[in-house]
Formats: sequence, C-alpha cells, structure tokens
Amino acid sequence: MKKILLVIRREYSTRVRKKSFWILTILLPILIAIVYATPVYLAQKPITTATVLVVDETEIFTHAFQSNKEVAYKRAGSLDYAKRQLEMDSANLIVFIPSRETTIPNDAFLYYRTDVPGSNVQSDIKQQLNTILHNVILEDVLNISPDDYESLTHTTIALHPKDIETGRDGFLEVKMILGIILAVIIYVAIFMFGGQVMQGVSEEKHSRIVEVMLCSLKPFQLMMGKVVGIGLVGLTQFALWVALSGAGLFAIKAANPTLFEQAEQRQNVTQIATKGTDMTTQLETAKMANDAIPNSQAFVLTQGLVAINFKLIIPLFLIYFLFGYLLYASLFAACGSLVDQGSDGQQFTLPVTIPLLLSLMLIPAMINEPGGTVATWLSIIPFTSPIAMMFRLPFGVSILEVAVSIALLILTFILCTWMAANIYKRGVLLFGKQISYRDIFRWFKRG
Amino acid sequence: MLRVEHITKNFGSYRALNDVTLEVRQGSIFGLLGPNGAGKTTLIRIINHITQADSGAIRLDDKPLTDEDTLKIGYMPEERGLYKKMKVGEQAIYLAQLKGLSRKDAEQRLKQWFGRFEIESWWNRKVEELSKGMQQKVQFIVTVVHEPKLLIFDEPFSGFDPVNATLLKNEILRLRENGATVIFSTHNMASVEEICDDIALINKSQLVLSGSVKEIRRSFAQDRYQIEGHLSKETLILPQGFELEQMSQEQGSKEFSAIVRIHEGLEVNDLLLQLLPQCKITHFQEILPSMNEIFIRSVQNDKI
Repeated sequence: MKKILLVIRREYSTRVRKKSFWILTILLPILIAIVYATPVYLAQKPITTATVLVVDETEIFTHAFQSNKEVAYKRAGSLDYAKRQLEMDSANLIVFIPSRETTIPNDAFLYYRTDVPGSNVQSDIKQQLNTILHNVILEDVLNISPDDYESLTHTTIALHPKDIETGRDGFLEVKMILGIILAVIIYVAIFMFGGQVMQGVSEEKHSRIVEVMLCSLKPFQLMMGKVVGIGLVGLTQFALWVALSGAGLFAIKAANPTLFEQAEQRQNVTQIATKGTDMTTQLETAKMANDAIPNSQAFVLTQGLVAINFKLIIPLFLIYFLFGYLLYASLFAACGSLVDQGSDGQQFTLPVTIPLLLSLMLIPAMINEPGGTVATWLSIIPFTSPIAMMFRLPFGVSILEVAVSIALLILTFILCTWMAANIYKRGVLLFGKQISYRDIFRWFKRG
Repeated sequence: MLRVEHITKNFGSYRALNDVTLEVRQGSIFGLLGPNGAGKTTLIRIINHITQADSGAIRLDDKPLTDEDTLKIGYMPEERGLYKKMKVGEQAIYLAQLKGLSRKDAEQRLKQWFGRFEIESWWNRKVEELSKGMQQKVQFIVTVVHEPKLLIFDEPFSGFDPVNATLLKNEILRLRENGATVIFSTHNMASVEEICDDIALINKSQLVLSGSVKEIRRSFAQDRYQIEGHLSKETLILPQGFELEQMSQEQGSKEFSAIVRIHEGLEVNDLLLQLLPQCKITHFQEILPSMNEIFIRSVQNDKI
C-alpha cells in the first residue's frame, strides 16, 4: 500500500508541476470565454450605416421604410438618378421595385457597386419590404389594423412540459443541453486522461525504467498507482476549472447585474398579464412583457438550472467519471504495455476507443428519445454508461436503473482491471517483439 | 545464502529455463555466464521476483522468497532505465523510498554516495541532460543505496569506460567486503577470473557448469605445464608420454621456455624426474585454461 502511494504521489506531483498542466488549466476557460465573448463584443461595436436609395415604381413602399442604425433609407425619384448617386459614392445601395400589372409586387432588386451588401443589411431590407407589404395587405385587403396584428403575433401560448408527479416544469431543452455538456465532459476527460495513462506506460516500457521499478513493487501496484495518480490530476484540473469558471461568473455578475434582474422582472410582468381580465389589455401587457425582456433565453436557462436536481447529478457525475475513467484507464494501460515504439499501438487502442466513440455518436439518437430503448440500453451497458447515463440524468432516471448501471460498471471495472493487469505484467517486460492478439489470448488460456 | 532449486520456466512452447539448480554462498561474488538468449535474464528476473517460475523454488537464507525480500535485493538490469524528465536527486529518492527507505534516510545516504562519486552537482539536473555514462553511475547508486544483502548486476560493465569500469569493480568489491553477496551476469570473462568466486554457466536453458572458479579451471586443466630454466645440455629430450608443445630457446643461450603436456597415466612428478637431470628449473607452473576457453569449450561441446 505504501508503495502504491509513492507511485501515486510521483505521478501526481510530476504532472501537476508541469508547465503544460497550468497552461491548459488557465488557458482553456479563457479560450472558451473568448469564443463566447467575441460575438457579443462584435455586436456592441459601432456599425457603419449603409445608405440605401429606394426607387419605388409601385408607390407602395416609399414612405414606410424605417431607417435604423445599420441602414439609412432615402427616397429617389428615378433609377437613373439613383444610379448616378451610386457612382458618385453618395449612396451605397439601391432598392428598385419595378411597377407591375398585378397589384401586389413579387420582385425587388438590390443594386450594388463597390459595397457588397452584408447579410445584416440584406435581411433588414427583406424584412422591411415584407412587413410593409403585409401591412398594406392587412389594411387594404383584409381590413385589419397593423397594430392589432402585431399584438396578435406577440401573443403566444407556451408549451410547458410538466412532470405529473412533482407538477414542476420540465425545462427539457435546458436539460438536454446540460445532458450533452455532461456527456461530452466525461468523454473528453476519459480520452484525455486515459491517453495520458497509455503514454505514461509506454514511456516507462520504452525507457526500460519498468524493470527497475518491478524489482521493487508488483506490476499491479505500478499500474494502479499510475492510473490513480493521473485520475487525481484530472480531478484537480476539474476542481480548478470549476473554481475559475465560478470566479468568472462572479465577475460577469458584478459587471452586469441587470442580466439576472431582467429574469425576475419578466416573471412579474407575466403575472400581471395573466391577472388582467380584459382581453385587449392582456394582449398589450403581453406585448410589453416581450419587449421588456430581450433576454428570455437566459431566463429559461437560469430557471431550468434551478429545476434540475444537482444534489443528485453532481455525486453521480463523480461516480461515473471515477469508474468510467478507471475502467478505460486500466485498458489504456494494458494497451500502453503492448506498444514497443509508440507508433504501432493502433490495433490495440481501437477496440478500446470504439465504445467511447459510439456512445458519443449515438447522442443524437438519445436526444430524440431520452427515455427510449437506445438511451436506456446505452446507459446500462458498462462501456457506454458513463457517457449515456450522464446525458440521461438531467431528465430524471429511475433509481433502480442507476443502481443497476453503477453496479454493472463497477463489476466491469474490476473485471477489466484484472484483465488489464494480466496483460500489463507480461506486455511491459516483452521487448522487441510484435505482440498479437493471439499472444494475449494464449496468456489468458494459460492463466 | 541463495538457493535456486529446480527452476523451470516456459514462454509458450519455448522453454527458457530447464530444471536449473544452483547455490550462491554468503559473501561470495557469483558469476552467471552464458551466451545471449541462454536464459540468464529470465533467471535473474525470477530471483528478483519480477517473473514467476513455472516450477521450482528460490530460497533466500533457507526461507522461500517473498515480496518482502525484494527490499533486501538490489538489481541493476542490463537495459538501464531512469525517468528521463525527472531530476536526478528526486528520482533517486523516489527509487530508494520504493526500496523501503524513509525520505530522510534516503536523502542522507544518497548525498553520501553522490559525494563518493563526486557528482553532487548533478542532483538538480534532469536525467535526460546527463550522458549515458553519467546515467550509469546514477543507476548504480540507486541499486545499492538501500544496502541490500544481495546485489544483482546484469552486464554491469557494459557501457562504462575503462576508468569508470574500474571504479565500479572496486565498488562491487568494497560492497562484498561489507558483507553483501553479489551475483552478476556478464560476457566479460576476464572480469570473471578477476573477481568471481563461483560461477554457473547456462546454455540453451540448461545449467551446464557450476562451481568455484578455481575448481572449474582445474577440472578443465589438460595437464599442461609451463617450464622455464637453464639447460645443462644442448636440447631438451622427453620420452614418450610427454609432449613438447612449445619450445623456445634463444640462439647460443641455454635459457629456455617450454610447454609440456603430460599424457594420461603419468604424473607431474614423472615430468619433474625427467627434467631434473637435464636442466636447472627456474619456473614451473601448471597452465590452467582461461574462463574464456572454458566458456567457448562448454558452449561448443553442448552443440555437438
């Protein structure tokens, strides 16, 4: 036992003291933050306004265009005049709506010269054209006031999936996102740290230190020491990431406190809206509510996260990470012991990585049916359960299923570690020989 | 001290060791000889408890070898290995702790050894920065730092330059003085004659020869004698039964040097009786075969 602890300590301390460990630990959250912050930052940047000349031969659109930050609409009398303006660079684009024999025009043209219109400008023009056209039809043909119509479109009925037993909201989308994130974290962690185990073992074999080590301790002690030591490195990295993201979230909250207040605000407005008896006032307040809260997605997210049973998910995440990692890491260790020069390990790693890849690839199938046959079986079968169960957990899984899945996982972990240790103790001392599956099979036949 | 009893080991259909029995005396230096692939490394690994024998037993001080006994053994494998990225001192402490030393003890003893070898300045350097010869020294220190009763060296002199090989040889002899028993496997027959008390020769998985170096050399002796002296007549004449293999005599001088082989049935004293009237003997010695000759002869005989 003392020797295993020594091995664990060495594996842990040499890795944690490496520069690359800290670079990854600090850089990864920063990179993720940059990826998310860049679009937000760019959206806040002042934009150059495009000047668009509207040449409307139908006389329907001319006055109804509304200029905004991105596009300034100006009226032009004729296409020729507009073209001259474009050539003189006093305008960027021309929207030309030719007259037609039909009352409702089907086509409009956007002329450009040097400034190719971006998708934002294009979609603004398209949207304005359509809104104006719809309003004209509503007013002139259908006799509905456009204001009434707008409040109508803002009046939506929300579908709330509710658990019949608890009566609580389902927040299925939030759960799905959380499930995918958890599953991917487990997948990445097993691959990353399992890979480190394999690399460590093959390095020990390659540098021949293994023979020096094995005259002091048992192969199993050396293998498990490495597996556990690297696992602890993984947990340390997780803990640091959680701490760093926590600090980051706190900083965002301090910088932008309105983000969370808006969520509360919306709740109040909705309550007022539903209390109103008059249909018209209700419509108006509903519209108000929607205008006031542009950030309703963030609201659903925070509400959804509150609804999820983290007290159960976090310990289960740790259990599945731990045993999933241990199961795969010992198999990776066995693979590492069979590789002599680093490059020819493919044939051994492939069977180990296939179940991992498979469970990741089947997530779309599980999204369709979180409680379906595929998801259920994948979350029971030990090799795929760490990933599949993590995906399913936010939706709620029966205790019995979780218990069976964990029991099977632990049982398989013990069996695989025993197998891996048997392969490891022979493989690690075999030098200069290509090991085949037949050799491994023979080792087991002889016991 | 160490008894290897009827050890047999198979790898698949290949028999690496076949019923090998030998004994290593307390305080002796024991040479394990044999051509490449004979099974020496396998036997050493079995003694080290790294590999398990299929049958037979290893007894240390008359008790079967256990896991705990590995603490009493120091082993330097033929293919040396250290963690390349680790610092020398830290690594040496780690390996010494695995051999049961406390951190403090390990550090103290290692500092002493580093002092002896005058390599204190390496303590904080990474192994990969050292030359191969330097790594060998470190490897030797970590092998002996826990003061094991039994030391096992697989090809200890390979990779050492003559200066360091001598240093190493003297260290091995000094460790023996201090009570350690040493086993080493080697191809270097000169070093066997020089420092080994006993040897065992393994060829094709079988033990072909074992015993003390002196006895073995004597048993391989072919009744050949080296004679030097001063002739009292012109030349040396020997009757039948004595074969003059070599005779050298400077022109006009009566000083001579000869090698004579005695055929079966005759004694060394018979030769002396023949010589006495013919010359004044200044040097008379039985020629013992070198370990090199014995090695080659044993291995070749085995082939036939």
